[in-house]
Amino acid sequence: MSEDHQNHHQSNNDKNVKAGEDTSLAVLRFLRRKWMDSWHGNPPGKVLFLFGLLTGLIMSIPIIYVIWQSLFAGIDRWRRLLDDRIPQLLLDTFSLTAAVTLCAVLIGVTLSWIVVRTDIPGRKIWQWLLALPLVIPPYVGAMTYIIVFGPSGWVKNAWREVPWLVNMFDEYPINIYSFWGVFFVLTMFTYPYVFLIASASLRKMNRNFEEIARSQGMNTRQIFWKVNLPFLRPAIGAGAILIALYVLSDFGVIAMMRYVTFTAAIYFQRASFDTASASILSLVLMLLTIIILWIEVKTRKKSKYYQTSNTFKEPNVLSLGKWKIPTLIYVCIIFFVSVVLPIIVLVYWSVIGIGRGALDARFFGFAWNSLRISLFASLLCMVLSMPIIYLKSRYPSVISSSIDRLSYAGYALPGVIVALGMIFVFNNHLPALYNTFYMVAIALVIRFLPQAMQAGEASLSLVSPRIDEAARSLGHPPWKVMFKVILPSILPGVLAGGALVFVSSIKELPATLMLRPPGFDTLAVRVYVEANESFYYLAAPAALIIILISIIPLRYLLKKY
Amino acid sequence: MKKSIKSLMFIASLMLLVILVAACGQGDEDELVVYSSRNERFVQPLLDKFSEETGITVRTLHEADALQLKEETGNVQADIFISNDIGALEYLRMEALLASFDGEGVETIEAPYRADDNSWIAISARSRGFIYNKDMITEEEMPKTMEALMDEEFEGQFAITRGGNGGMIGNVSALRNEWGDEMTAEWIEAIKDNAAGIYSGHGDIRQAVGAGEHPFGLVNNYYYHQQLEEPTNNNVGFIYPDQGEGEMGVIANAAGVGLVNGAPNEEDAKAFIEWLLLPENQLEFVGESLEIPINTDLEPPYEHAVKFADLKVQQMPLKDLGKYFEDTKELIEQSGLDLELR
Repeated sequence: MSEDHQNHHQSNNDKNVKAGEDTSLAVLRFLRRKWMDSWHGNPPGKVLFLFGLLTGLIMSIPIIYVIWQSLFAGIDRWRRLLDDRIPQLLLDTFSLTAAVTLCAVLIGVTLSWIVVRTDIPGRKIWQWLLALPLVIPPYVGAMTYIIVFGPSGWVKNAWREVPWLVNMFDEYPINIYSFWGVFFVLTMFTYPYVFLIASASLRKMNRNFEEIARSQGMNTRQIFWKVNLPFLRPAIGAGAILIALYVLSDFGVIAMMRYVTFTAAIYFQRASFDTASASILSLVLMLLTIIILWIEVKTRKKSKYYQTSNTFKEPNVLSLGKWKIPTLIYVCIIFFVSVVLPIIVLVYWSVIGIGRGALDARFFGFAWNSLRISLFASLLCMVLSMPIIYLKSRYPSVISSSIDRLSYAGYALPGVIVALGMIFVFNNHLPALYNTFYMVAIALVIRFLPQAMQAGEASLSLVSPRIDEAARSLGHPPWKVMFKVILPSILPGVLAGGALVFVSSIKELPATLMLRPPGFDTLAVRVYVEANESFYYLAAPAALIIILISIIPLRYLLKKY
Repeated sequence: MKKSIKSLMFIASLMLLVILVAACGQGDEDELVVYSSRNERFVQPLLDKFSEETGITVRTLHEADALQLKEETGNVQADIFISNDIGALEYLRMEALLASFDGEGVETIEAPYRADDNSWIAISARSRGFIYNKDMITEEEMPKTMEALMDEEFEGQFAITRGGNGGMIGNVSALRNEWGDEMTAEWIEAIKDNAAGIYSGHGDIRQAVGAGEHPFGLVNNYYYHQQLEEPTNNNVGFIYPDQGEGEMGVIANAAGVGLVNGAPNEEDAKAFIEWLLLPENQLEFVGESLEIPINTDLEPPYEHAVKFADLKVQQMPLKDLGKYFEDTKELIEQSGLDLELR
């Protein structure tokens, strides 16, 4: 009996072992099938896949690291911040974001309406003149407005000379370092996003709908509210979200004008080396960003408006009549405030600066730093974006679209968070690269890779997958196909993406400021440093150069919308 | 097709070039990495002079914080730390982040102005005090002690800096040593409430007082010298506080240089300190700041500066500031004075 039992036991054991082998095989087979299924039976080559995966991971690691740090920052610190700091920051950040978004949308939509649909003199020229504020980085705009309206600015000095003003209003009443100052500057330099998107969609609007509405007895105002506005809603939504995300992530304007939102708070916590608190604030800011992105996805799904294209008729141009002069004044004021005045200020101080020898060897050193870091970052972006977009378009699967999404992490989130994560990762795990040129370059890649991806994707979608298949059938592995066959045909798109990254890198402030190695200041960093010390004659030439370079991709941007 | 391959080649070679260019300057042997928390305007000319005379490339991180050295303990980057606050330097020494120095020229600086192991050496001194606009307030009406700033009498009369300013931190550390934390916290709270303006730096204060926006302001003495040199708005005076019988004496601090422990370019760092201790370079260190050189053999660049020997200076040895460095900021923030402007 006992023997029997043992025997039984033994065989049972054997069976278990066998079953174990079987299950591991089965698991393998299962995984294999899952793997094939997820690629729809067409997995990419290993080289290509690993390259893409690695890029996706590099793009997201710093951010994951920040989240990790914040989770282990300690309950006490969390409680202290949640009690004191975070409610105030939420209020300040939220009120600024809401106010700027609202006002920028209002300005952007009205301007696009005026330019596209009315007979305002010089319509064609206004179309691109009003997009020009895009080339002025908002922190440069902030500097110019501090020069004009600040506590020792032009207006204040003029104010003192005018007795009736002093008698009537007493002291100089404008405080540029306030909510309203920040609000004004951010609105003036972000409205073009809405303007461009809304103009594009107004131009596509079919006249038939309006004519039908009119035949039903509606007047222009009713048509605007009932027909035009619903069509514009997606464009307004997209523009509003761009602006809200920008306000959440902006560091330069906010720091220079001494308003504190999450980005500035994170920067200052980091500057006093309270890194744990900085990562807690970062986590909250990430959540805010995600909420806004989520709203975007939601609204996009809900609101679908279809334009019929086969009977498309260009929208007619409305006559302004007696409103011509007031409208023209409105457009001119916006243009003056957001383009002319800042440029006048910058040119004025640049002339003084050049007179005082601001363009010395040091200055050219900064320019050279800006140039080489931006070139390097844009080249890296062009190379790294290829596998990701190629995977996504030729091997669509859950995995390739996850890689694609991971790559957007640094683009969607504010630069201060990216920089914070980079410091953690490099100081602790990559000491050889810490505090080098390459650390800054990688940060720029993390921030701007999706710009290269979007431009490349647009070109890639025009190349037939048949070409790839032909090349594959001749025996090339996928990565070779990508570089030898596909790349040459989508080169213009890739280069355009590279140019976008280049310009963004030249303008980039927060990550460069936090990560720059000793002796490696860029033009953007110098603008920030000199402006904070009120050495405007040194800041202005650097700012002007940044603006001149930013004009390069403007044509591309205007075409895109 | 051929054209695109050509442009591909062009890009590849361009990339190679950029990488090469990016790489050079990184592995440079003869270089010195300086972290500085002193005003860039004063430090850069000194470092340029050093580069020019020795051929050593200097890479500088301005607006650096002492705590960055602490964060980089396992991966030391800097060779030299230049600071406006002896508290920061002595703190670093206590944390074993500075290395001892025994080069030439040390004896030109008196012992109280050096660390015990010479790991830091102070070069120029300053004291705290009140700059005032003579058109708005007379010397008799001015407060004569730090404590007097708490009086309601001076409410809305003066300007101070933000709490995170190096000079303000040193000021508070010295008061903690003199009065203890409780009274110091009260003082911070009171001056924050009484101040009519809170500025980022002392440069803004001297200009505002000179322009008549405030009757007086709490600054370092050399900002008074700087304002006197201005072509306009220069009708200003200065009070060295707490000079009376039984009072604590003026609060002093100094700017100096520290040798970083484990410096990657230790030889160059030592060469830099020896070079800095040459009399002409000590004067260059003082530079445009118009502070007072600690080396008594040197003529102060601002000739009318009151000599430290003629002042009643606080008893506390400067190096004691190091004990307070770590939590002074916290005390300032808790007392309601923000470290940054907002």
